[in-house]
Amino acid sequence: MQGYANTGKDYPPVPLLMPGDSELELLMVRYQGGDFAAATALIHRVSPQLHRFFVAQLTSRSHADDLLQETWLRIHRVRHTYRPSEPVLPWVYAIARHVRVDHFRKAMRTQIREKRLAEITDVAANTNAGQRGPGDDLAKLLAPLPESQREVLEMLKITGMSLEEVARATSSTVGSVKQKVHRAYKKLREQLGSSESRKGRGGEQL
Amino acid sequence: MNERDISEALGKAAEARDSVEPALLQRIADAIQPTLQAVRPLPRTWVLVSALMLIGGAVALGEGLRAGLFGFAKMDVIERVAIFFTLFWLACVAGTEFVNSMVPGSRRRIAAGKLGVSAGLLLLCVFALFFRDYHTEHFVSAGLLCLVTGVLHAIPVGLMGWLLLRRGVALNRISAGITAGTFAGLAGIALLELHCANFQALHILVWHTAVLPVSVAVGVIWARVLQDGKPGT
Repeated sequence: MQGYANTGKDYPPVPLLMPGDSELELLMVRYQGGDFAAATALIHRVSPQLHRFFVAQLTSRSHADDLLQETWLRIHRVRHTYRPSEPVLPWVYAIARHVRVDHFRKAMRTQIREKRLAEITDVAANTNAGQRGPGDDLAKLLAPLPESQREVLEMLKITGMSLEEVARATSSTVGSVKQKVHRAYKKLREQLGSSESRKGRGGEQL
Repeated sequence: MNERDISEALGKAAEARDSVEPALLQRIADAIQPTLQAVRPLPRTWVLVSALMLIGGAVALGEGLRAGLFGFAKMDVIERVAIFFTLFWLACVAGTEFVNSMVPGSRRRIAAGKLGVSAGLLLLCVFALFFRDYHTEHFVSAGLLCLVTGVLHAIPVGLMGWLLLRRGVALNRISAGITAGTFAGLAGIALLELHCANFQALHILVWHTAVLPVSVAVGVIWARVLQDGKPGT
């Protein structure tokens, strides 16, 4: 099921992209052609967004660094599955999302196996909380939402992907993404409304 | 607070730039450099779907020709067109979803579970429309034979499909297993429709259609085995 880079064969020259194709797609095609400069440029272009994506998922910066590295290694292993003319970001985020899910699964398994680890994790989480950076505001804002809704909003807001692209990245349909966004907004409206009314009541009492 | 306010709040929160240490990015680039070679991208979806259809068609038709096209011969023209067109269309949809489940970031038009259920329901409707012989004879023995024949021919279709798409990556293996099972099950049903001349309504509604859920179950089990054996991509 896993396909790796085919080696030792002559491949046709990298196809020229039509005008209008994004720079990311061009970089990706050159990366598939074995161009190291394009690979480096792609890493520099996409990594800040990806890192943000991991940080916003209530992950510490050091964890986000690890996940970022793991994501690029997987991207590298399966780079042949990107098809020229398809959007790059949904493909990248589909893999990043999978890396994150794997990471949480492993963490859960470890927690179940080793009861004592729970205490250590708490300590680590508290320690890491201090390291969290610019993703804090968004993470706090989205914290009340379920995982699937939070993920969709992050992709829409952090990467600026369209509904169609988010649907591709999450392997779901556009209708399903719209529904998640709608529910997320509804929940946020309730949350923010209630916190504002609490603030209002607090002000009146003062 | 309305949606615009929430969008603005989200936008402001998302505006904060995150920086990644240049050293980390350099480490990543250095890590991939030694294995950076030209790769051949996967073929386009329509090419892979066509190949899947050829596999499914070859198995169903080949075995049908070998065992005899008794069912096909017994049907009238309208039945043939309606049943085989439905099977062909469903196989195209299932094949496309199977391919898309093996390529990250692909467009999904229908969830895997919904696809399996919808395909089963649509086939039940078509079969119920055309087969009106409600008396039953050798219901279990004849039915089990058809079910086993259908599933035994669906399994190689699924395996060959999996082999065809082996360069792909199933990020969600269960979903890939369901779509693979649906596609393979449809090929198994196509074979039964070509070969089986038992037109009793219950026989077809129960045993022929049952090939689909059994194939899906086999696909899911296969996917779970792979999932347990390998840590993702």
